[in-house]
Amino acid sequence: MSLFDGPRGALSELTRPEGWVLGVSVAFLLFLLVAMLTGALGPTYFLFLVGLAGMYALLSFGLNAQWGFTGLINFSVAAFFGIGAYGTALMTASGSPIAGGLNPLVGLVVALVVALALALLIGIPTLRLRADYLAIASLGLAEVVRLIVLNERWLTNGSAGLRGIPGFFHGWPVLSTFPEAMPGLRLEVIPGSPVTLKTAFWQASLNVLLVLAFAGVTYFVLRRAHRSPWGRVLRTIRSDEDLARALGKDTYSFKMQSFVLGSLIMALAGVFYAHLNLYVGPGDLDPITTFYAWVAVILGGSGSNRGALFGGVVIVTIREGTRFLNDVALPIDPAPLRLLLIGVVIVAVMRYRPQGILPPQRELIWPSAVDGGGTPETPDSGVRERKGGGDNE
Amino acid sequence: MTVLGYLTNGLVFGSIIVLGSIGLSLVYSIADFANFAHGDTMTIGAYTALVTFGVIGGLGGAVLGLPYGFFFALVVGIAAAAVVAVATEKLVYEPLDADSIGLLITSIGIAFIYRAVIQIRFGSDFTRFGIRSLRPIESLVPYGVRITLHDIAIVASAVVLVVGLHILLQYTDLGRKMRAMADNPDLARVSGIRTKRVKLWTWVIGAGLAGAGGVFLGLFNQLAPRMGFNLLLVIFAAVILGGIGSVYGAMAGGFLIGMINQLTPFFSNVVEALPIWPGVLNTVLEGLISIEYANAIAFVIMVVVLLVRPNGIAGEGAT
Repeated sequence: MSLFDGPRGALSELTRPEGWVLGVSVAFLLFLLVAMLTGALGPTYFLFLVGLAGMYALLSFGLNAQWGFTGLINFSVAAFFGIGAYGTALMTASGSPIAGGLNPLVGLVVALVVALALALLIGIPTLRLRADYLAIASLGLAEVVRLIVLNERWLTNGSAGLRGIPGFFHGWPVLSTFPEAMPGLRLEVIPGSPVTLKTAFWQASLNVLLVLAFAGVTYFVLRRAHRSPWGRVLRTIRSDEDLARALGKDTYSFKMQSFVLGSLIMALAGVFYAHLNLYVGPGDLDPITTFYAWVAVILGGSGSNRGALFGGVVIVTIREGTRFLNDVALPIDPAPLRLLLIGVVIVAVMRYRPQGILPPQRELIWPSAVDGGGTPETPDSGVRERKGGGDNE
Repeated sequence: MTVLGYLTNGLVFGSIIVLGSIGLSLVYSIADFANFAHGDTMTIGAYTALVTFGVIGGLGGAVLGLPYGFFFALVVGIAAAAVVAVATEKLVYEPLDADSIGLLITSIGIAFIYRAVIQIRFGSDFTRFGIRSLRPIESLVPYGVRITLHDIAIVASAVVLVVGLHILLQYTDLGRKMRAMADNPDLARVSGIRTKRVKLWTWVIGAGLAGAGGVFLGLFNQLAPRMGFNLLLVIFAAVILGGIGSVYGAMAGGFLIGMINQLTPFFSNVVEALPIWPGVLNTVLEGLISIEYANAIAFVIMVVVLLVRPNGIAGEGAT
């Protein structure tokens, strides 16, 4: 599967679901492009959606590092997401009751440190538990975190939430003034419906660049980690924890590492969200966020990072699509419709395709192992002879 | 309010939790997964009763401040919850080729579907049964107990249902089969028990009790599409406290969690009165033990029980 095979060769190597996903994605992208060019979809809003999709993908990467790699049923995704968002918001927002006005980089570091502490706090007691107990306990602890954020007004501003969060690039040398410095562009692709690109557009494109950077780095780190010996241990734990223990692996420690890694990625998604949305409130810690991430991961394929990316895009489509439907066609409240779609997707995936749409296949194999000539060479002599072992066990 | 007052409140709320936790525990032990849709099954019961009561009205007389029509609506609510649960089992869980974790995840989807349908039909606002709320019983007020006839009706109905379940489990053929299946499903199957049928009956009983719990929860507080999901974790806390799979444990756990939940204001008074040293600890405790954290306290208890005594207070094998 080298690049020299050309597009035709790469295409023919795709499995059927991969082909489908590629086709649908391309069609969807074309649809959005057309909508944008005709002015039905504002380019700034489009970039906001891309940012949101990147954020859900990041969140799903985090969950994938826990559930997909190690099989940890973590139902506290929303807590880590919220802690990430609140961590940076409390440091940078003008309306912050404790600090405020600091550089967003400080916010990023603080958010990650707080998320690390929370991951240890939740992980130390719960990771010893059986899988289904872990699910219940983590959901309960996430609810505790939400209640604390909601009620400790001196710390978090309570139900009013935090306003006045600056963009992530606030205070950076060039990038902080980049959106204002860029001239307004006026594109007229289709005569009569011009598309103007103003400061908000450049601001949004910066956000997209940021989430692409976050998600890109995370993707490559996770891909590398999943293939590494460390990732193999995690996969062993996922399929049979007793086996991993019998092989002398400290499974608790490995589970903790995977839990912390995933939690930090979720907090990163939260940081991005705070600087994208410029407002965070206790509603962002609602358990529904957890299940958005879960839908993205099981729909995409547990353990598959590409799948998580795909799932993230689907989630944004559901989230914003229901709002759009409500505005245009069906006068149904988008909130329950969203809930219904999420529920139906969960049930349908578990019923008809429990491995997800893009289950990990070649992702887990080193490319060199595939390119290196297929089947390994047959050794001249058997292992037993070479070791000089006896003929009986 | 006096301690006695909080205790009676705990008794009423505890009865509702008990109704929810028995069903969750039964399904956990016989269908072998943590059913996250159980809370929303309660919501289904509550809203069905709401609709039924709205249609048929009071039907003349009243018992314990509740019109006859309400009791009829209660039965319909129970039946609806049971029917929905059985249909879900037949349509979704049974054809599913999944382990207990897969079923758990599926049940979350089911929970969302239930809640979404109710929310689409009724909106997300609070509603109430069209029953005039009563004043607390006069003769008990001097003791600091402020309960209404409705609360007594809730406790009495819960007791009837729980005793009925006890008789069913201990003295009937179905009960023995259910206990056998909870103990060892494979052994039950080779002994000639039709495990599928028993499983269906488990759903009927579990969901029916949940439906009753939902109706009473609606009477005790209000109805909202999120009422069941919000209570779900509290019910899980009760089930885990009592020991998963143990019906009698679930009853005890439900009571304890209900009591603790309603006694939280009392505890916070106690903490305020106690001279706890150092002052920082005192402030922290005063902050954390307050009504806002009543549910959080239950969740923390749940995690502690899972860690220290995963079999719960009743121990194992007490189905």
